[in-house]
Amino acid sequence: MSEQQHPLRIDDLVVRYGRGEPVISGVSIALGPKEIVGLIGASAAGKSTLLRAVQRLVEPESGQILLDGVDLTRLPREELRGARRRLGMIFQEHALIERLTVMENVLAGTLGRTGFWRSVRRRFDPDDIEEAFGLLDRVGLTGLEDSRCDELSGGQKQRVGIARALIQHPDVLLVDEPTASLDPATSVRIMGLITEICSERNLAAIINLHDVPLARRFCPRIIGLLEGRVAFDGPPSALDDAVLQRVYGDEATRAHADAAGEAGPTEEEEEEEEEPGRGADTTGASAEGEDSLGG
Amino acid sequence: MAAELTHRWRPPRVIESATHRRLILGGLALYGLLALVTVEIDLARIAEGLTRTSAFFAGWLRPDFVTRWTDIRAGLLESLAMTAVATAAALLLSIPLGLGAARNLVPGPVYMTARAVLAVARAFHEILVAILFVAMFGFGPFAGVVTLVVASVGFLGKLLAEAVEEVDPAPLEALTAAGASWGSRVVFGVLPQIMPRVMGLALYRLDINFRESAVIGLVGAGGIGATLTTAFSRYEFESVSAILILIIGMVFGAEVISGRLRQRLL
Repeated sequence: MSEQQHPLRIDDLVVRYGRGEPVISGVSIALGPKEIVGLIGASAAGKSTLLRAVQRLVEPESGQILLDGVDLTRLPREELRGARRRLGMIFQEHALIERLTVMENVLAGTLGRTGFWRSVRRRFDPDDIEEAFGLLDRVGLTGLEDSRCDELSGGQKQRVGIARALIQHPDVLLVDEPTASLDPATSVRIMGLITEICSERNLAAIINLHDVPLARRFCPRIIGLLEGRVAFDGPPSALDDAVLQRVYGDEATRAHADAAGEAGPTEEEEEEEEEPGRGADTTGASAEGEDSLGG
Repeated sequence: MAAELTHRWRPPRVIESATHRRLILGGLALYGLLALVTVEIDLARIAEGLTRTSAFFAGWLRPDFVTRWTDIRAGLLESLAMTAVATAAALLLSIPLGLGAARNLVPGPVYMTARAVLAVARAFHEILVAILFVAMFGFGPFAGVVTLVVASVGFLGKLLAEAVEEVDPAPLEALTAAGASWGSRVVFGVLPQIMPRVMGLALYRLDINFRESAVIGLVGAGGIGATLTTAFSRYEFESVSAILILIIGMVFGAEVISGRLRQRLL
């Protein structure tokens, strides 16, 4: 178990808000290289808190977060900024700056390495700009660099969020409910894009998902959180009704119904694009052919 | 059917006890009556004033732009200059203060300090501030500009701080997660979100400052207000009327221009 084998290792992490019960009580997850983990669990199970604690957006109470062997929980502020760059985060509801352009939002991912005055004057490194254009092509937003983000559809916004995370040059992606605000067809496309990019760039990822069929379809390893503890850790094939019952507790009936239904929308449903924005339809579809969805 | 009604409902009263309610209302009525009695009403003085009022309205109907035009023009231009300088300076000062007075951006001590500065800036009415600065800097537009800056900083700073506190925290968190510094987070995450408010408030304050520049001129702080007082004290109601009409016209013009600007900018 050398550290090189784990781009990210979470050891016995405890997170508590105020004086209440811990939200995360002793979670350990060792992420292998290029490994994609789907994190499932009921609404209050602590999935988002876990990801936020890894970034130290919430300060953990105890435990270790080892990023390439360096314990993030002990890093002083300035060094933490550097470490945060290496953890690319994709957010629920995209968390874009709506009034800025697509390009500004993507380049916001470089703010960890761009100086303050350069950021004020929007004088970004030409290499970063070149890379941003490449990433926009990759996520299927060619030609939209000067559109304001509030003009984009939900799926397009999430693509901007993905590009913003990638331009950080992360080693690990932390993805928080990437499909929470999207329709089923777009959800499948976005999940396909994220997992494809992970394999292209050799990224490991933890993806929070409330949608069990989606997790089954895209994540080779699934971890179920229950009340801040790991209640399941294994491949999708081991995720049977009994496990879902345990992980979701009261929500089990709903989760079960989801799991019993179709595993995500069918391929035909995915054809129609949801984008009202300009010129995105063709680029969006061509950027991720249906065959590469990994289903 | 009425007999089957089992629930009666009335909105809960602010003051539960009927006796208390009557006492309070009675007390208020009594105080109002006594207060009215203490105000001396001098009918003879009112009658005298009425003739002056008629002279005033007569003057109002015959505005005279010509006789004192040089003074009026100088006063207006001075007011405009005061307004522009004061609003611009106040905007520059109030953005850092507004950021500092936002609970979601800064640590406690900075927040308290910035809030205290803003509270002091808003503590007194412009007239009182103007009297103070006229005493400090002497008569003239400089005292007026400083007055308007103080008042505008209090106004803009407080409202900007509130706008900053209402920004969507998600993009800020995303920037933090990307390793952005505090400054970059403000520039990228906060300013774009509050910019429409900043522009709107600055334009509104421009408008207020022009009107205030007429008022603080009355206590010697320069601008069209000074011209207005002079005209009043000389009983030149025709010139007063001309000045008032010009002020109304300019405020109206400012309204039109700021409306256009807002449409373009937001």
